[in-house]
This record gives sequence, C-alpha cells and structure tokens, in this order.
Amino acid sequence: MLSLSGTGIGRGIAIGRAIVLDQGHNDIPCYRISATALSGEIERFNHAVDAVRADLKRVQRNLPTDAPPETSAFIDVHLLMLDDPVISQQPVQTIQEQQQNAEWALKSHADTLIDFFEDIADPYLRSKKNDVAQVVGRIMGELAHSPGKQPSDLATLGSSLAEQIIVARDLTPADTIMLRGRNMAAFVTSLGGPISHTAILARSLGLPAIVGLHDVIDTIHNNDLLIVDAATGTVLVAPDEPLLAQFRELQQQHLRHQQRLTLLKSEKAVTQDGEAITLLANIELPEDIEGLRSAGAAGVGLYRTEFLFMNRPKPPSEDEQYQAYCHVLRRVEGPVTIRTLDLGADKQVDGGRPDRETTATSALGLRAIRLCLSEPSLFKPQLRAILRAAVHGDAQIMIPMLSSLRELEQSLALVGEVCAELEREAVAFNPKVPLGGMIEVPAAAVSADLFARKLDFLSIGTNDLIQYTLAIDRVDDSVNYLYDPLHPSVLRLIRTVIRAGHEADIPVSMCGEMAGDPAFTRLLLGLGLRHFSMEPSQLLEIRQQVRQSTLAGLSGQVTDILNCVETGSLYDLVDQLNQTDSD
Amino acid sequence: MKLQRELQIVNRLGLHARACAKLVKTANQFESDIVLRQNEHQADAKSIMGLMMLAATQGTRLTVITSGADAEDAMTQVQHLINNRFEEDE
Repeated sequence: MLSLSGTGIGRGIAIGRAIVLDQGHNDIPCYRISATALSGEIERFNHAVDAVRADLKRVQRNLPTDAPPETSAFIDVHLLMLDDPVISQQPVQTIQEQQQNAEWALKSHADTLIDFFEDIADPYLRSKKNDVAQVVGRIMGELAHSPGKQPSDLATLGSSLAEQIIVARDLTPADTIMLRGRNMAAFVTSLGGPISHTAILARSLGLPAIVGLHDVIDTIHNNDLLIVDAATGTVLVAPDEPLLAQFRELQQQHLRHQQRLTLLKSEKAVTQDGEAITLLANIELPEDIEGLRSAGAAGVGLYRTEFLFMNRPKPPSEDEQYQAYCHVLRRVEGPVTIRTLDLGADKQVDGGRPDRETTATSALGLRAIRLCLSEPSLFKPQLRAILRAAVHGDAQIMIPMLSSLRELEQSLALVGEVCAELEREAVAFNPKVPLGGMIEVPAAAVSADLFARKLDFLSIGTNDLIQYTLAIDRVDDSVNYLYDPLHPSVLRLIRTVIRAGHEADIPVSMCGEMAGDPAFTRLLLGLGLRHFSMEPSQLLEIRQQVRQSTLAGLSGQVTDILNCVETGSLYDLVDQLNQTDSD
Repeated sequence: MKLQRELQIVNRLGLHARACAKLVKTANQFESDIVLRQNEHQADAKSIMGLMMLAATQGTRLTVITSGADAEDAMTQVQHLINNRFEEDE
C-alpha cells in the first residue's frame, strides 16, 4: 500500500477505482507492471499484435481492383515485420524482465530500430524507418484501445463513472464541464491548489478531491483501488482490507453528518441574535438548479456563463443565450445574478475568441470585462440576451474584473446603447435590470466607494482578489503556499468593500470560495457581510454555522484579528472565533 | 548439411523492403537455417527486420550460408531470387 498526500478539498471520503486521464503530456505511457500483472500485460501486447495482423490481412483481402499492384506487397512487408521477433517477441521479454508496460517496452525496441535505419547512408533503405514507425504505430493504436492500465481519454469515457476516481495532471474548465453529471466518486490531481478548477468543481458537486499531489500521482495506475480522504488530504493506493473497513465506517459517519445537515434545509438562515443572512448559490449549468433548490438557497449570487461558450468553435447566438438565461430565471425563485463573460486567463475557450489563440493566457491579461469591451460583437449579444430574459425573472447583471472607473463607464454606456437598440427594434426587455460589479482587483477594492456610487450592488470575488493582492499566480503550483485568505491585506480590502457598500446603501455579497468555507463564516459576519454566495453543496454547512453564531461581539473580535501582528496566532484567533458559543 | 556461397545484390534498389519480404517468404519454405553475412554483420533470412538492417545496396557482396536437411534446395532458391533481381525489372 502507498500513501500520498496533497491538499484536500471538502471533508468527504471516497473509495473507488482510478481512472487516469491521458492529457497528452506523455504520448507513450510509461509505468511499472507488478509481478502478478505481468502475464496480463504480455497478453495485452500479444492481443494488440494479433489484432493488427488480422486488420492488415483484412485490408489485403479487400483491396480494390484498381489498387496499384505493389500495395499487396507492401502489406506483406508490414505483416512480416509484425511477425519479426524484434517487433513481436523482444518487447515481450522486456515486459517480463523489466516489468514495463507494453507501450513502453515496444517503444524502446522501436526507437533502437528507427535509430539504426536513420544511420543508413542509402536514402531509399533509410526511408524504411517509416515502415517500422507505421507498424509500431498500429500496435500502439491497438494498445490504446485495449483495456489495460494505460491512461484514458476523457472523451471516450462512459457516461457513468460511479465508484470511480478521476486521476489527472490538472483539470481545465472544459474538462470540468465534461465531467459533470457522470457520477464519479472523487478527483485526484497533481497540480492545483484550493481554488483550482478541480477544487471548485469538486465543491460544486459535493465530492472530495485531493489536489497538488505533484509527481507522486504517477504512481497511480488505471484501475488501482484508491481511498481518498479529503479531510487529511491523503490518497491511499491499494489499501488492505482492515484499512478499507475502517474508511468505510468513516465514510458512513460523514454521510450521517450530511444527512443531519439536510434537516436544516427549510430552516431560516438567522443568527442567534435574530439577524437574517442571505445565502445564495453559485451555479454554472442548468442542472445546478436542482442542488440550489434542495439546499434552500435564496437565489443565485453568481451564475457563470462561460460554459455556454466552451467546447465549441463559435460563440452562442443571442437567441441561444436568451433561451439559456430564461431557463434559469424561470426556475429560480429570488434574484439571479448573471455574470457577464469571464473568459481569458486560465479559461481559454474556442467560442469566445476564435482568432486570438496566441494571446497571452495571463491572469493579468486581456480577460473578462477587458476582453468584452475590446470585442463588443461578443459582449453586446450577451447583454441583449440578459435584458430580454429579465422580463421572465429577477435578473441582475454582474460585471467581472472591473479595475478602472473608465471600464465601468464604458460598460454602462454599452448597456444604454443595447437598451436603445432593443427599444428601437420594439423587442421586449427589462430596462431596470440592476447592474453590479465584481470587486476582485485590488484597485477596485481600494476605491470601492467610487464604484459603489455608480452601481446597484457589489460582489467580492475572493479567489482573484487574493491572488492579485498577494501577487500569486493561481496556476503556478510552486507559489500556492502563499495563498492565504487570512492575510491582513486581504481582510482589510474585504472590510473596505463591505463598508463602501454600507455607506452607499447598496448590498455587498461575496461569491468566492471564502464565502462557502465554514471556517470563515463568523469572520465574514464580523466584517459586516450579510450576503453569501457559494457552491450549492456548501449551503447547508454555512446555514448551520450562521444559525450557531451571535453577531454581537463578533466585530470586536474581528478587529483584533485584523490588527494581529503575530502570524502564528492569527489562525488561533479565528479558531477561537469559531468555537465561542457554538451550540 | 551446410553450404556457403558468395552472391552479389544486382537489383537497382538493393535489399529493400519488398525484396526482403520475398526473401523471407522464400526462406520460410525451408527447415534449414539461412543466414546472410556481410562483413561482420549477419542476418537471419527469416527475419525481415534483420535483412532490412543489413542495408545491402546494389553491388553489395554477401555470403549466404544454409544449414539443415534441405540446405541445398534453400541455397538454390535464394540464389535464384537474388540473381533474378527479386523478379524486378531493374
């Protein structure tokens, strides 16, 4: 048994078989085969060779009558090469003796052959290396389709991945869309921190995940039995029976805890001293509405629209967007805050930027509102679709990544322009849709009072706010340790934004991961936050936390935390905050 | 029985893939071991990769060694194939 540790997401426990995703970083998979699995691996190789032979013979038999006469002779060459011991027997020895997987064993022999041919002076004979490559390529192709321990391609996985655990280098936003609704048990990735897309996906699905496992992830193979313990950030590979029994029991305990939480579904989110707190849901796909309902959310605090633009060559039309927004608005009671396109940076999407593939992918680059303002043909159809859909429900528009007042002015002008167009065209729309801004760039947080004067609401995006404030590249694993929601500068910026909202008398919500983390609920209440938006799976946990909290006194304790100069005692202070009068 | 004979590759393309394929098919008809030797290199005439790796171009001199019960027939057939330019035109 092997124990690997990384950063755990959530508290759950999953037990299941690994599905290792092949993400093209290693074209030819390379891994060790255990002594007991050697005969199976050899059989897999032999099967692949047999399949290629059968295939070549079939092609040879069914050659069209007008095929050049040499064609059959060339197929003969490939058939003979296939039967040559160098190709069909030596790799078997390598699998046996060096305990390597079939692909790698074949590759090492093929490489030697190809190197040899490359050194031949005669150009015609030298070109025969291509025949070797073709024959080897055919066997590799067969191996890739045979049920071995080699990595899987996401696109070819079945629609149900029940009791299976996705193992990948990293998951892109497009991957996470493809994985939704497949019922897998957990995620394990080598890259990523607490706010990576994998982590966000896992939270939104209420699944455990371990991220940031680095290279040790290479020791996990397809079909390995895994225990994922998110609370401790541990992955156990090939556990023994007593350990399995122990974790099954822990898993049951966790499930019982979750079941107790569901009793809170229809209870109000009110503090001990009677203050009502608004708990909203972050959603992405229409399916998420179900989770929002079952957790009793008061509305949608963040509706991410990027998914409409992903995994497709062209952006969706205005009508397609209109239909999608109507679908959500008609099904959700309470406000639905639609965030306009947040593309760019780590969310590279075909549909959003057809001719911009080479643009830098920096989080500081042309993304979100910057991209939208530079491409009105992308932005205006979305604004039109939202304004039209707002006839059918309580829609709000939220603009991501505002950094300057000029961007805000331009956005407001565009909204005005779109309203005028719709009016002229006599199309039904709602001209009074509240317009809010996401405060996630420190520049906007510092001047939140200025933004607040022109907007109907503010929403704090903590994930980006933290990375920009602390100058951390979210996708650079090596600086993940600097990611700290409790950094005094982060907390002070949050306080500044909340105060700016109060002074301008507009609501301030928070839709970043912090809002859904029960460890920070009281801290945020103490900072004056009253609107929390989170992944639906977190709603019940946060509701419980709200109901056990007393606002009186919190703000004083939080002031101590903001003024704390001992980094070591910061977390202790937050712990104390969470322990006082909890039931 | 063991026979040994010097032969020269006379076809224009030398021991290329299709020629090797014909040689292997011919060699496979016999029980005898059939080896082609060029200086220090040696190839089993029943292995196409081995033959291809000899990289024998037009004009290359090879030693053919056949050993076994049907060594004589094997030698005749191999010699015939090589001298007839593997049934190619040039």
